[in-house]
Amino acid sequence: MSKKVAVVAVAQTPGAESKDNLYDQAYHVTREILDKSGLNREKVGTIVSAASDIFHGGISCANSYYWETTGAFLKNASRQDGESLFAFFYGVMRILAGHYDTALILAICKGSENPENDACTLMFSDPFYQRELGIQETIAAALQMRQYMDKYGVTKEQCAGVSVKNFRNALGNPYAHKRGRYTVKDVLESGMLADPLTELQVAPKSEGIVAVLLASEEAAKKITDKPIWFKGYGSSLDNYFLGDRNLLEGQLPAAAARAYKMAGINDPRKEIDLAEITEPYAFQELLWCEDLGFCEKGGGGKLLESGITERTGRLPVNPSGGVLANNPYVSRGLQRVVEAVLQLRGEAGEHQVDGKRKTALAHGTHGFAGQCHAVAILGS
Amino acid sequence: MGKAVAIIGVGQTNHGRRMDVSYPDLVREAVLRVYEETGLSPNDVDGVVSGTMPSMMEGVALTHFYFADAMASAGKPILKTETCGSTGVSLAHTAYYWISSGMADLVLAVGHEKMTEGDSQATMTTVVEPWYQRYFIAGAPGVFSMQSQMWSVRYGLDEKKVRDAAAYISVTHHDSAFDNPYAHVKIRVTAEDVKNARVITYPVRLLDVCPNSDGACAVIFASEEMVKKLGLKKVAWVKGLGYRGEEYFFGDSDKAVWQSAVQAAKQAYDMAGIKDPRKELDVAEVYNPFTFQEMLFYECFGFCGLGEAPDLVLQGTFGRKGELPCDPSGGTLCTNPIGATGLIRTAEAALQVMEKAGDHQIPGAKLAFSHAMGGVDQFNGVMIVGSER
Repeated sequence: MSKKVAVVAVAQTPGAESKDNLYDQAYHVTREILDKSGLNREKVGTIVSAASDIFHGGISCANSYYWETTGAFLKNASRQDGESLFAFFYGVMRILAGHYDTALILAICKGSENPENDACTLMFSDPFYQRELGIQETIAAALQMRQYMDKYGVTKEQCAGVSVKNFRNALGNPYAHKRGRYTVKDVLESGMLADPLTELQVAPKSEGIVAVLLASEEAAKKITDKPIWFKGYGSSLDNYFLGDRNLLEGQLPAAAARAYKMAGINDPRKEIDLAEITEPYAFQELLWCEDLGFCEKGGGGKLLESGITERTGRLPVNPSGGVLANNPYVSRGLQRVVEAVLQLRGEAGEHQVDGKRKTALAHGTHGFAGQCHAVAILGS
Repeated sequence: MGKAVAIIGVGQTNHGRRMDVSYPDLVREAVLRVYEETGLSPNDVDGVVSGTMPSMMEGVALTHFYFADAMASAGKPILKTETCGSTGVSLAHTAYYWISSGMADLVLAVGHEKMTEGDSQATMTTVVEPWYQRYFIAGAPGVFSMQSQMWSVRYGLDEKKVRDAAAYISVTHHDSAFDNPYAHVKIRVTAEDVKNARVITYPVRLLDVCPNSDGACAVIFASEEMVKKLGLKKVAWVKGLGYRGEEYFFGDSDKAVWQSAVQAAKQAYDMAGIKDPRKELDVAEVYNPFTFQEMLFYECFGFCGLGEAPDLVLQGTFGRKGELPCDPSGGTLCTNPIGATGLIRTAEAALQVMEKAGDHQIPGAKLAFSHAMGGVDQFNGVMIVGSER
């Protein structure tokens, strides 16, 4: 990349149910971004949002509803479906192509008005074979977790340890939806949802209107003295039917390899200073850490026990509490970017990690057992 | 501006009522055809952009999962673009930006819809919020009928002349569909047939309306370096693109001089350096699910002055042998698998400037306009392609 793109402002709503309607929430977040960056609506070049119809309170073509409240009136705006890191990347593309100096990226999901997460994820199933069996995201994750423990000898206590860490981290995050001090025993005895997944190992259904403002290098200098630079991005999609896939050899290594290549990262263990990753199921944080190259295959449990991924560790993972603490389905990928930016800027408040951090990784995934992964690398 | 981008190949399904294939197989048909056409393989592309209408249409959410195999996109970077009816042109825009930004050299864009497996009018009614508008919006025809009336009243147009012009469009487009091997509705109709057809929502009658189609369209975009590397001579360079959206509530904006359409076209013209579209463009694929609306688009895109469209239509200005032929493929009026439709417009424009449109080729077409519209009269997107870099 000859040109550079920076994140120059971030904003988000809390994950708990808000009395504001979606329209007002989206307005407030957009307003906050404009105020933080000192821009008016006319100065924003383009807008790319992420939202899913099925997660959107029964409105189809989701972006038609929130078009004006996000400042898009008579602007060139577009939308990505399902994964908000797609929208982040599309905004980067629009700036690098030289058409726009700034891009407002928004992810919109009002979880409190949606059906249960898995009533929605059941709609990913094809209507003929899988849907009849009731296969949705939690069932798929349970199958994946069982395979993971069987193959690598990762224990259920190690998996539960992710919940303990992330709910504790969330105590310092004012935007988190769920937080608390739990023991491994609490997590394992929290009630079985889909064997072997217990309730405290499964992410909640949250609200999240999340926004970032992207800017070209020149525009960024005028807006902030703390730009966080886009360094790399990669995504990858897996085959569809669960039975056609090896759930432990997914597409995250391919997505990460693309992002690392673009960012010039050779040894993620040494060069990544913190990671915000999407772990809607506790064990997935361990599996994804392996896939991202933070430890060897099957080493996720030991990585957690070593304390490296604690907020005080060498490579903190989900210091915000991650998706277990806050799960606005479509918005969660972009929320990882927001959290990574707050950390790199030293503005994460009570959940700020120790020491100076230069390079952060933000990860998003959606679909059964991680059918699609996206990885973004950011640097100060 | 970023890097130059070209369309190098197009694959379409035989659009229609396709009860012989599943939805994934429909998508696979278009994708296989674009790879056959270009001689490329899925291994060659750097990324895939996928899109449809909302999930209520066929009852499957986030269809890029379901079509991972049909699009031969497993192991590939993926984007999922959705902007309602304008999805198809938005897919083309996404592919353009991906390459123009320098982050890919070959991108596959795939739009798809299998409308006979769903209820399109029920789906469209859910585009409007459930509190105020939903009770009034009886699917798409009601909206576009109101718009047609607003337009003809605005300019005091003679009702009979408008009716005759709309019938003319219906007759000529239905004729053109016979020259397009992929078109859905192939029937010969007369102006009398159109004017006597069953009323859907006044003044729109059955033969003024597009069908529900099953169909998919796949288009491969390439960087200039890749065009050179592959030694391609006939490609369609992207010359301009524009997109605009306006008020969500239908009653809040002027739909006769439709600002999202006017400004989307202007953005594309500015980029392409076009000053007089009727003279400079050789052919246009206007998204025309309704005959009356097509005339309104001609005016908003500057193909003629405001209120002038019916006269020019009746003079044949926009016919196959006219000054600016519009929808020689038969257009959306004869084929409408919505998530694919906008991309079909861009694909048809590309085929024209690549001189590959077969029996509906406009001789010597060098600069072509494509367009899609979406939302409850809310979004308009444009892409202009040309034979010259």
